[in-house]
Amino acid sequence: MAFGSSKSLWRCGLSAGLAVFGLATPGCRAAGAADTLPRVVATTTVVADLVRQVAGDRVALDCLMGPGIDPHGYKATPRDTDRLARADLVVASGLHLEGKLGGLLEKLAARTRVVAVAESLPQESLLEVAPGLYDPHVWFDARLWSLCARPVAAALAALDPAGAAIYEERARDYAATLERLDDELRASIATIPAGRRVLVTAHDAFRYFGRAYSIEVVGVQGTSTDSEAGLADINRLVGLVVDRKLPAVFVETSVSDRNVQALQEGAQARGRTVALGGRLYSDSLGAAGSDAATLTGVLRANVATIVAGLSGDE
Amino acid sequence: MTAFMGIPYNTLVVAAAVAAVGFAAGVVGCFGVLRRRALAGDAASHATLAGVVAAFLVTGRRDLPTLLAGAFVAAVASLGCLVLIRRSTRTRDDAATALVLSVSFGVGIALLSGLSARGIPGAGGLEQFLLGHTAALTAADAVTLAVVSLVVVLVVCAGLKEATLVSFDPAFAAASGWPVGLIDYALVALVAAMVVAGLPAAGAVLVTALVVIPPVAARQWTDRVPTMLVLAGAIGCAAALGGVVASALVPRLATGPTIVLVAAALFVVSACFAPERGWLARCVRPER
Ligand SMILES: [Zn+2]
Repeated sequence: MAFGSSKSLWRCGLSAGLAVFGLATPGCRAAGAADTLPRVVATTTVVADLVRQVAGDRVALDCLMGPGIDPHGYKATPRDTDRLARADLVVASGLHLEGKLGGLLEKLAARTRVVAVAESLPQESLLEVAPGLYDPHVWFDARLWSLCARPVAAALAALDPAGAAIYEERARDYAATLERLDDELRASIATIPAGRRVLVTAHDAFRYFGRAYSIEVVGVQGTSTDSEAGLADINRLVGLVVDRKLPAVFVETSVSDRNVQALQEGAQARGRTVALGGRLYSDSLGAAGSDAATLTGVLRANVATIVAGLSGDE
Repeated sequence: MTAFMGIPYNTLVVAAAVAAVGFAAGVVGCFGVLRRRALAGDAASHATLAGVVAAFLVTGRRDLPTLLAGAFVAAVASLGCLVLIRRSTRTRDDAATALVLSVSFGVGIALLSGLSARGIPGAGGLEQFLLGHTAALTAADAVTLAVVSLVVVLVVCAGLKEATLVSFDPAFAAASGWPVGLIDYALVALVAAMVVAGLPAAGAVLVTALVVIPPVAARQWTDRVPTMLVLAGAIGCAAALGGVVASALVPRLATGPTIVLVAAALFVVSACFAPERGWLARCVRPER
């Protein structure tokens, strides 16, 4: 049975064709009198932030999925199809993050320029979750994500040659910002006592984060939010939390915290109080206007939450 | 309570809840099976999904009692529709059941996917009601489910005579002045209650199995209603515990489907080896 609630990125890998977004000719702009700005549509808030950082105000930017939306399960509405069709450039995250949009983006690539930023990354930098299938959550590694700025600048320059130098420069600046942030985040995580550098979350979106900042990542539901966590998984995690004396576990807004509650109760029964370390941003940025409206803000907020949760007394 | 005889706390909590639900579902399911209303429970169970999502949308809460209350309302509403369609349109039983089942389940799925696409905060986890989420039960959840199960079993015990009569000989019951219609509705409501209580264990898709398979298996062994009730309860309880044990021992094994498989295995054993109606007995005494 196919359900709209599917968050399983690995299962979405069926549409293998998605990996190759055609680089067709840039859509010719119907340069109406009023809208002279190139129209760019980004799929997720994370990608929209990247485009905004590189393009500034030189493009009219539209984000398909608003804050709080789970991209794995997102299906396009007829209005979305319309927005995409009228775009001069579509910027996607790729690596099957937008699982259900795969077919649509592929079709679109025949007419419009579609760039999947994460697919421009060197293959050896990606985490393989199944043969030929890669974890799409690359933005949690700030240094890796910084590599995605240049392809965006190139795509924008092709659309708007007059701004090429500006895009180039903004991309370089933003990449540098991300690299500085990367050092900052690593230093923050390093303040957590070594034995407690374990991030227990509801599901597995933080593998790149764990790899980049040297923190062990354990998802209650493993790779897929579709499968039910078995009792064996809960019991194993209770053991882990108690043995490693972890002071906190974390939840994500988009994923059920039921399992985490059961986990807390199990640890409590063994004499260990485990706090709810707070909610982490995963596949979507925060609401516009908040501190978490940009990726840099989200990364800082997540790391602050994690450090505060894991550094407390015993 | 920490660990009992080395059994982890979470396993104990889940086992207690599921054993109670399995027993009560088996007991109540007997009347559904005897009255040939087994499929009505299926329609009710598929409708619960819409109730769960609607309860979340209306209250904004996702604690178990709230969601199960929504599920119960939806289950009863779907059964009401079933009766209404049957009475007012002269649609046959199976067609009416199929209609209610598919439409109500469709509503549930549509609401669920609508939620996930709109990114309504806190909606995560509702999809667990499709296939169950036994492992995530907390002690408070277990108490809720155990109380519902106990009440249902007590109601059945109190009304045993009436229920038995209506199940076996509704015409005679009606002639003797029993309110057959009312008793019938009460039985269906009890089935709906158990379908809802079984949701966390098996989910909307599989929970019917809890109210159908144990009674059918128990029927193989006996013609006496009290014996059948106890036996069905025991089989439901055993299946539930079997699923929990398997899920506790094997990583990444979903509890709900395992419970159904264990119940099915117990049915096969019953169908083969029951002394009177079993396949083996009939082979030995072909003249019967
Ligand atoms: Zn994700």
